[in-house]
Amino acid sequence: MNTEELCKYSDSVNELLARYGVKFGIYKNNTFKEQLFPFDMIPRVIHQKEFDYLERGLKQRVTALNAFIKDIYGDKKIIKDGVVPEEFVYSGSGYLAQCEGVMPPKGIYSHIAGIDLVQGKDGSWYVLEDNLRIPSGASYPMIARDLCRKGLPSAFEKYHIEDNRNYAKMLRRTMDNVNTGGHTVILSPGRYNAAYFEHSYLAEQTGAHLVTGNELVVENDWLYFIDYSGKKERVGAVYRRISDEYLDPMNFNEESVIGIPHIYDIYRKGNVALLNAPGNGVADDKGIYYFVPRMVTYYLGEEPILQNAPTYLPYYEADMQYVLEHFDSLVLKDVAEAGGYGVVFGSKMTKEEKEQFIALLKKEPRRFIAQEVIDFRDIDIYEDGKIVPRKADLRAFVLMADEPLVWKSGLTRFSRNPDSFIVNSSQGGGFKDTWVMAE
Amino acid sequence: MRKLRFQYHMQLNFESPAREHHFTLRCMPVQDERQSIVKEQIAIYPKHYSSTQVDSFGNRCMYGTTKEEHTCFAVDVKGEAVVDHTRFIEAPSHKVGLYRYQTRLTEPGPYLNTFHECMSVMLEQMNSPLKKAQLMMEFLYYSYRYTPGVTGVNTTAEEACRLQAGVCQDYAHMMLSLCRKEKIPCRYVAGMMLGEGATHAWIEVYADGRWIPLDPTHNRAVDDTYIKISAGRDAQDCTINQGVFMGGGKQQQEINVIVEEI
Repeated sequence: MNTEELCKYSDSVNELLARYGVKFGIYKNNTFKEQLFPFDMIPRVIHQKEFDYLERGLKQRVTALNAFIKDIYGDKKIIKDGVVPEEFVYSGSGYLAQCEGVMPPKGIYSHIAGIDLVQGKDGSWYVLEDNLRIPSGASYPMIARDLCRKGLPSAFEKYHIEDNRNYAKMLRRTMDNVNTGGHTVILSPGRYNAAYFEHSYLAEQTGAHLVTGNELVVENDWLYFIDYSGKKERVGAVYRRISDEYLDPMNFNEESVIGIPHIYDIYRKGNVALLNAPGNGVADDKGIYYFVPRMVTYYLGEEPILQNAPTYLPYYEADMQYVLEHFDSLVLKDVAEAGGYGVVFGSKMTKEEKEQFIALLKKEPRRFIAQEVIDFRDIDIYEDGKIVPRKADLRAFVLMADEPLVWKSGLTRFSRNPDSFIVNSSQGGGFKDTWVMAE
Repeated sequence: MRKLRFQYHMQLNFESPAREHHFTLRCMPVQDERQSIVKEQIAIYPKHYSSTQVDSFGNRCMYGTTKEEHTCFAVDVKGEAVVDHTRFIEAPSHKVGLYRYQTRLTEPGPYLNTFHECMSVMLEQMNSPLKKAQLMMEFLYYSYRYTPGVTGVNTTAEEACRLQAGVCQDYAHMMLSLCRKEKIPCRYVAGMMLGEGATHAWIEVYADGRWIPLDPTHNRAVDDTYIKISAGRDAQDCTINQGVFMGGGKQQQEINVIVEEI
């Protein structure tokens, strides 16, 4: 089957996705809007050999990141040995002092990681970002694959594409591995969350209960789920899709009404598993990103398999010099921002904007990182009856169960704007399935 | 070394009944190198489920839930402490970094920055963090007047500095802000003092591998008449009674502390 033939099904698959509620919500100017997440029929194809390389690199990277989080909230050896300056740890927004000295079940902090990669024109892969808090996106290629298989079974017979519908099994294995006894639940903030479709889909696929905060209660140091008949059942694992600050008003943001009072207190005692662990943000901060390859060497004694995009920390004098001298060829990122916000290109600034920015950079050097603009390899998308090239990234999912697992698929996001490098769904991007071709 | 008997009473009166009251209490004195708690009795009213644990800052907590409706929530802690100020709390330097950075409550603004600026020439001549802290404490003590009723629990160090007035919590926050500007790790301490009245607050600065307590409200070192309850980055980490509940209406809190030597 060729690409044109595949594209014929574009409208019908997108219609089906809309019918299944494959949407995400965004808040703009204080109003909640739901948008469809446009799906492009042309898959990103990665061959087994290339994926094997990514898989090894991803396992290594996430293992090191997990070791880092454990170290920071524990012994702090990496600070003692001067590999990561303490300033980057403690003044980052992701560090939570409330997590000091807390050891999660089996020492796993990063159960579900979403690692964002891009491929350069020369074919080499770069990690752009690690997402260790509540990365979303796995459900989109899962359901898209399912619908495409139903609509075009022949394509999947002819090619040996790794089945990606095992994500639910992998996730279940990850949750069961740390479960402290009792039910497994997926905790959602509710219907108006941007990723609500994903919460309900993953619950359905894994057989976990989909719950909101008011259905969970802490009693006698255990967590219970209250079912519709009022019966209480013990909960041993919570895949929580609400952020750290809202998880428990007694330990984090006091104003939270969607959290569960005292859940963190009993987690501290080892009575329930929380996936991902609160406090993980300390490792996926844009400032900490710079140090990830060094973490691999430090904790694992190995050479990093995956590389970062060439990054400069203006915090270091030499890097600041480089940034000032090569300003126009760099992209600058505010470490506190996410979702494609706070990203500016040196070349696109007016003289005045540039002067203002440099003044700010000199005043708060720790707040920014600078990166070389990678010449992305474009990938084809189908738009208005034509095949056109667009920028895209790949979010790979790495699950830490009894061993690290890499999902043989991933979420490929693309920018619909031909001039934009920003692929985030909140900025109007679309998505593709990712096919890993078996040999 | 002194042996002190302490009594702590806290009562929260609600205008209308409160229910589903979740609480975390940090009102049991810590056990550390300087003080040991030899006897202790705790009572919480009304009926509740509760449990204990040690938080990330090493403070003992009691937490739990009272489901039944109540218009009064009360806690009593009684006990005896043996305090020895000649002993020191030691900590390795790579583990105290988290106390070196400003928090929302200690973040300086123009007033504190100016205040700090005035001392900069003198500070530069000093090489010991303890001496620097003592100098700043003295400046603070003579520049501000202890004035109750002007500030509240959420007043930041910068606001207190602008008002040029405040209570022990504000003195402690201003001191923390200034020490952190000097990159000295330092922490907030909530506690009690010999006599009768309310709880007190002071700070500990990290110098030469040890935590040294200083009382900026009185411009002096902390001696055996002080009982430490808890420590943290700022007052928020040491909240004595934290709670969320339904209903309740207006609330009014009474705290009464008695510490006497035995």
